[in-house]
Formats: sequence, structure tokens, C-alpha cells
Amino acid sequence: MNLLNATTRYYLLLALLLFVGGSLGLYYGINWALRTEVGEQLAERRRELLAKAQANELPSVDQLAILLDISRAPRPLGFRDTVLLDRTEDELVPHRQLTFPLTVRGEGPVWVTLRKSLVEAEDLLGVVLSVMLSVLALLLAGMVALNRWLSNRLWAPFRHTLAALRHYDLQQHRPLALPVPPVAEFAELNQALNGFSQRLVADYESLREFTANAAHETQTPLAIMQAQLEQLLQVPALAEDPAVAPLVADLYGATLRLSRLHQALSLLSKIENRQFAQAQPVRLDQLLEERVAQLEPLFEARELRYGLDISNGPVVVQMHPGLADSLLQNLLQNAVKHNVRGGELAVTLSQTELKVTNTGPAVEGDPARFFERFRKHNAASESPGLGLSIVQQICGYYGFGVDYSVAKAGTRHTLRVVLKPTAGVPAKKSSAGFVAQGPAHSAS
Amino acid sequence: MKILLVEDEAALRTALMGSLKQAGYLVEAAADFAQAHEKIKLYQYDCVLLDLTLPDGSGLDLLRALKSDGSPAGVLIITARDALDDKIAGLDLGADDYLIKPFHLSELNARLRAIIRRRQFHGQQQIIFRDLLVLPELAEVHVRGELLTLTRKEYDLLIYLLANPGRILTKEAIAEHLCGDAVDAADSFDFIYTHLKNLRKKLQEKGADNYIRTMYGVGYKLSHE
Repeated sequence: MNLLNATTRYYLLLALLLFVGGSLGLYYGINWALRTEVGEQLAERRRELLAKAQANELPSVDQLAILLDISRAPRPLGFRDTVLLDRTEDELVPHRQLTFPLTVRGEGPVWVTLRKSLVEAEDLLGVVLSVMLSVLALLLAGMVALNRWLSNRLWAPFRHTLAALRHYDLQQHRPLALPVPPVAEFAELNQALNGFSQRLVADYESLREFTANAAHETQTPLAIMQAQLEQLLQVPALAEDPAVAPLVADLYGATLRLSRLHQALSLLSKIENRQFAQAQPVRLDQLLEERVAQLEPLFEARELRYGLDISNGPVVVQMHPGLADSLLQNLLQNAVKHNVRGGELAVTLSQTELKVTNTGPAVEGDPARFFERFRKHNAASESPGLGLSIVQQICGYYGFGVDYSVAKAGTRHTLRVVLKPTAGVPAKKSSAGFVAQGPAHSAS
Repeated sequence: MKILLVEDEAALRTALMGSLKQAGYLVEAAADFAQAHEKIKLYQYDCVLLDLTLPDGSGLDLLRALKSDGSPAGVLIITARDALDDKIAGLDLGADDYLIKPFHLSELNARLRAIIRRRQFHGQQQIIFRDLLVLPELAEVHVRGELLTLTRKEYDLLIYLLANPGRILTKEAIAEHLCGDAVDAADSFDFIYTHLKNLRKKLQEKGADNYIRTMYGVGYKLSHE
């Protein structure tokens, strides 16, 4: 229900009430006016008759009785309502009657009843209602037409603003540039929104810059820490006290975690800043095969039974090779991390989708929130909980759909990525091969 | 074995130099583009460790200079993670390998070994450690003249240990080496344990000495003694 409809509804309700009241008032008012008028006319006739009787100008009672309703027996005096049968229309018609005594000379008093037909109530009601209803109908039609016109003209800037807001994407780093319409309220609204979005963009921009700078500046100290700690571990003096080396090793492990967190966050901010321009054809099936092979020891250590189905032929997508790699790694690692010992892991790649299914304990909560940053299934986990968030960002970046579903009483989890494959095979061997040139292969 | 280290960050440079010297290399360092350029024009190196982001120039230009001089030196690129595209450019220009900062020094040793091996002995090459003989070309391991059958991962692990003799290798470094740098399942170090256990068992079955030492709470070490 839009605003105009809502206000129209109340207008119409009020109009209806007023019309009912008006119709009733009109009906009773007209009725009363008519009766009064008829009463006055009857009283006027009485006065004429009485005056004639005074002046002795009246004919005999028998003659009078032809024209008037006369009775020699006394009748109740005064005004009274009655109904008489109208012979021509064969229906009862309301009348107003006035009875009074009249003394015709030489014949003693007689009682005269004067009558006058009132307009039938039905007729009156019909007239009133038809007038009122047609006015009401006209008002309704007028209101609808006016609203349509108003919503087309007056509310157009508002709808424009709404559309602009709906399509607003903060990640494009552009403030809203809403026009200033002539209607003061809308102009104010647009100005307020423009101000808002400018502040939002500025805040976002400074946050982004901060993240980028912080990421860049953190990188070097982290690298130094890691290298120095590793060197520290080699110092022979460390061997003298067996408690020291594990301490340094813990420190080293923590540094690694920090640098992983750092890498994940800067990857996220780079994706958000759309700094991965160079999409190129990537053979996803090859890359997937390499990644699965690389993680094999991890699968084995967890005693996972795993299946990889890339039998649907080459799958080529337009992506930055680094992001393609990151996408697969995070999906696979997620499936390992949330698996159970001796569980299952299945990866299926078709032309249109990549599906990773894994067994794992049932999880609570809203699945949509699994993609949130720092979202951990197990709060004590050492992983920062950024994997699925990265998956979602990468998918969003390339317009892939991603969804999570669960089956078998919450113990079988599936992440599905809807791909947008490109036709044809990449000209050169995709850099997927290069990306996968991991440490495991280069030492041989 | 002469190595040129091009790295602008002083502390990192020191750490790298220390580690490389321990590994028995002759190391020279350059802190910026100008120094590095001078050195590669004047001297011959077996391998150049090249940081791509330098204060006064791009490491990629140094790489170009090396290649246009027809230098036989191997080039190992050290790059920041957010410079993915530089990395690609570097490999296209003829760099041998790349490492992403921050990296494990033991991983650096392993990469360096592999590059130098590939560059220096065209074809025939072998690694000898105590009673162990490895022929990387054939991926063969011999213990006291007897052929030892290893799985791919066990072999990788052994080569990695051999590239860092006498050096303590952390669990993390080994895990990343075997499973790629994205593996962060810290609770999955048991797979290293499994692989090492198997490797040790196989070595012992052939009568090799037990030179893979466990450093409690830290990692492992290939011992000279």
C-alpha cells in the first residue's frame, strides 16, 4: 500500500461518513421542511374556511361535503399523520391532515378534515441518495485521477530518490548525486541523503585507506618477526634449556597466524576495492585437481574419504588466477576444517556449478551468517574465520552465486558456487598452472 | 656459492643474511636499486634474491638487466602478497621461482637449493648426506647403496630436510611446504607426524642412522651428528 493509497483510503472513509451523515440530515431536513410547509398550507385553508364561515359565504354542508371531508360527529382535533390509498397508483400515500370544527350557519357545528399528500418517503430517499451517491462517485473518481496525476508528477522525484537508493552501491565509491526537486520536502530529503552518502563514502574511503595502509605497513614487521624468530630457533644456546625453544616456537606460530590473518584481510580489502582487474580464462578443472592433490596429506591425516568429479570436461571461467586459486583453497579448507575424522568430502565441478559437500557436525544459527567475517563455528579455533567470507567476496566480485545447504539432519553440508563459464579454451595454458606451482613441486 | 640479496628492509636483510650464511652461502647484500644494479653489473652471482619493491626502482628492471646481460644467475623473486601481478610479470621475465613475504627461511633454503641445482649441474647431480644418496633427476633415494621407495610426499619431505641440514624446521614450515602456503589448519600437524614417522621407519629398515631428530614443541631437524 503506497502512501497515496493510504491517505486516499482515509479520505474516502471520511467522505463516506460525511455522506451518510449528510444524506440522513438531508432526508430528515427535507422531510421536516415538507411537513411544515404542508402544515402551513392546511392551516391557511382552515383560516380561509373559518373566515368564509364568519362571513357566511359557505354553501350548505351537503354541498361542502362534496369537496371536503366533513363529519357531523366529533373528531379528534389538530394535526395528524395518516396514510390513504392512492387509487391511481394503488398504493398507500402518507398524508398530513388537520381536523377542526366549523360552524355553518343554521346547521350547527361540523368537523372538517383537510388533507394534503406528503411526498413519499421512498421517493425522497431515492432522490437524496441518488444525488449523494453520484456526488460520492464523482469525488472518488476525481480522487483516484488526482492521485494518479499526483503520483506521476509530484511524487516522481521521491520515486527517483528511492530507485537511486535501492541501486546504491557503496563499493563504487561514489556519493549519491540526487537532484534538488522543486518540492521543499523532497529537496530536503535529497539534500540530507546526499550529505549522508558523501559522509558514508568519505568514511568508507578513509577506512579503506587505513586498511590498505595498515596492511602494507604490517607486512614488513611481520616478515621480519617471522624471519628473526626462525633464526632465533636456530641459536645453539636455545638447546641448553628445553623450555625455551617451545616458547619461541609458540611465538613463531602466533606470528604465522597473525600474518595469515593479515593476508586474508588484505585480500578481502583488495577484492572490495576491485583491485583485481585482470580477469583471464582459468581452467578451473585443472586448478581444482592440483589443489586437491596438494591437500591430499591433509585429507589422509583426517582419514577423509574424498571424491573429485571433474568429468564434465574443461571448465573455463574468466577470473584473476590468484582469486580462482583462493576461492578453491578456501572452499576445500572449509570442507576439511569442519569435517569429522573419517568423514567424507566430495567436490563436483560441472559447466555451471562447483559443489563442495562435506560431512560434519550439525551447526546452529542462520546459514547466511556463516559468510560473515570472523565467524567461527568453534570459538576456540585458531582459524580467524575468514574463509567463507573470502569465498563470498570472490563470488560476488565475479557475479557467481553462492549458497549453503544442509541435509541429513544437519550433518551433510554443501556449498554451491554457480559459475559463469566462458566459451572456448584459453589461448595459452592458463596461469592456473603457474599458480599451482607451489612449494611441493619446486623443490624436486 | 655466491648469492646477491636485494632487500630494502634492513632487519629482514639481516635475518636473511644470517640464515643464508648459516646455510653456507657467500652472501652480498644490496639495500636499493642503485646498489643492486651496480653489483650485478660488476660481479657474477650464482643466484639473486630479488625483492621487487625497492625504494628507488622496480626489481623487475633489475631482472631485465640481468637477463639482457645474459647472466647465468638464478633469480628468486621475493614479493609482497598484494603484488600478485608483479609476480606473474617476474616469472614471465625469466625468474626461476618466487616466494611470498612473509616466508619461512627453511623454505627459502629449499627453493634456493633447487634453483642452484637446476642451474649449476645440467643433468647429473646428486645430494649426499651421511649414508644417504639422492638423485633428484630420477627422484631416487639410496641408503648405503640400496634403493629406498618413498611416496611423493615422503620424498618431498626428505628433500626439504636435506636442503636444511642442521637447521630446526618448524612444523608450520613443513606443513606449508607439503600442503601449500594456504594451509592453516594448525590442528592438522599430525599429518606431518605421520609422514615423518613413515619416512623414519623406511630409513631405519634400510639401516640408515636416525638423523631426523624431533625437537620437542618446535619441529624437526636433520642432524649432522
